Amino acid sequence: MTGPSWLYHLFAVLMLVVAAYCLVLLVFSIKEHRMSGWDVDVAHVLMGTGMAGMFITELAFGPTWTWELAFVVLMIWFVARSIQSVQEFGIHLPHYAIHAVMSLAMLLMFAFPGDATRVPAPSMAMSSSAGSRLDPGLGFLLAFAFFASAIFTLASPRKGAAHHGSHVPDYALVGSVAPDRSDGSPMVTVANVSMIERVVATPWLEDASHVVMCVAMGLMLVLMI
Amino acid sequence: MATTPVDAEQPPVPLVGTGRASTGPRREPADLQRTFQLILATVWLLDAVLQLQPFMFTRGSGGFSGMLTGMAPGNPGWIARTITWNGSFVYHQPILTDTLFAGMQFVIAFGIVWRRSLKAALALSIVWSVGVWWFGEGLGGVFNGGATPFGGGPGGILFYGLLAVLLWPSEGPDRPFVAARTVGVRVAKVVWAVVWTLLATLSIVGSGRSPQTLHDLVANMNSGQPGWLAHLDRSTEAFFLHHGTPAAVALAVMCVAAAVGVFLPARVTQVTLVLAMVVFAAIWIAVQNLGGILAGGSTDPNSGLLVVVLALIYWPLSPTSTATDDVTLPTSRGVQ
Repeated sequence: MTGPSWLYHLFAVLMLVVAAYCLVLLVFSIKEHRMSGWDVDVAHVLMGTGMAGMFITELAFGPTWTWELAFVVLMIWFVARSIQSVQEFGIHLPHYAIHAVMSLAMLLMFAFPGDATRVPAPSMAMSSSAGSRLDPGLGFLLAFAFFASAIFTLASPRKGAAHHGSHVPDYALVGSVAPDRSDGSPMVTVANVSMIERVVATPWLEDASHVVMCVAMGLMLVLMI
Repeated sequence: MATTPVDAEQPPVPLVGTGRASTGPRREPADLQRTFQLILATVWLLDAVLQLQPFMFTRGSGGFSGMLTGMAPGNPGWIARTITWNGSFVYHQPILTDTLFAGMQFVIAFGIVWRRSLKAALALSIVWSVGVWWFGEGLGGVFNGGATPFGGGPGGILFYGLLAVLLWPSEGPDRPFVAARTVGVRVAKVVWAVVWTLLATLSIVGSGRSPQTLHDLVANMNSGQPGWLAHLDRSTEAFFLHHGTPAAVALAVMCVAAAVGVFLPARVTQVTLVLAMVVFAAIWIAVQNLGGILAGGSTDPNSGLLVVVLALIYWPLSPTSTATDDVTLPTSRGVQ
């Protein structure tokens, strides 16, 4: 992957920031017994760490098969959650779907590193298809889906929906109120939350982490084409 | 620290009708103009990321500056000089200029997302698309007779600007079609007719109807494409070599039908729109090769995709299609 190294360093740093942020969110989720969003946090921690290693070789670690295994598990989890959501609430587009697709993209990027991912030789050697190339058509489709997800997430008035879905009322620790909640549906009031937790769990910040992840993943897929 | 566990769930509102009563909050009518604005933003974001490909930061014939200066030949002298001047500027500052160009497209994409910056971003989109059409696409080959719609003529980037105009925000209903919401039905139909008449003309003038030119158009895109697309290209090349002129004439006839179609009853309009979308989707894949993105040397997806989006905003809407809960398009109001 030739080109300006500062650009890839920038995206690697962004990925690590997203991973660190979602790790903090995950800790808060466990501490506060939050039932939604923790799986997305886990996924973003792994994706951020893995992507950073793709942008900057020196940040890559661990055998590829462990990453592949992790993303297979995540993909199955999100597909199952998507099916469960549709069964429970009827036909709709669950937010788990985009996370399943992102897990698939990560799996493919590790499985078909090509020349772009800069995964070090030792870990590449563990891949069953090291040196193979991801089908450019599939890569383009995935990248376009991620760009669309980034744009529509930013534009959605339901902040935090990309993280928790739209069917969890007032999901965030800050107890934010979605703008279209004028129908009398239950609203959860969250009390005794520290200032740090309020800031960290701000829904728009959660959305921002998803957007950054989508753009970075789309870029990596474009670079692999 | 004691907090209330947040685990209560309530049903989301289905994106499509499920035939059962919804128990969730009532969904607002879909704002299709906003949805299409966001689709335009998505394409701008794709363009911005394509601008970050490594070769775009390099000098020489394989770099961004080489790509720009390659657009000059065939244009009138004074136009060619402006293009080579720009190419020279990019040649001397490849990293700075490419970063600026990518940054500009990120600004447009994310600017469209925020309502406060929407108008400014759309205005910038219009200005930028005209600039790129001039300096980056060599005016789409209009002046050298090579602006066939098969190859993206009169310039894929112009459709970004056109969509920005037609999707300029305004209050009001999306009926009878989204493109009419801001500029009005009459103006929108005239714009449509002008665009498709131009496409029809460009299909058959200059080298647009030359079998060899059409063959070469595809052959030049073939390098580096994935196997399935390269295979499709070979079929397209052979088809153009043997039937290039009839194909160009057929495309011109289809464009004229599309131009006239919006003035006819809604059912006929729908038929012509479907025809136009199918033809340009096929051209986008089999001739334009998705703008060459899959070969790793492209800056945009070319015109096919944008023409399909343009046709969609002219789709006649029934009186209830944007005022009910039965919405099949993802909207800006909760795609997740």
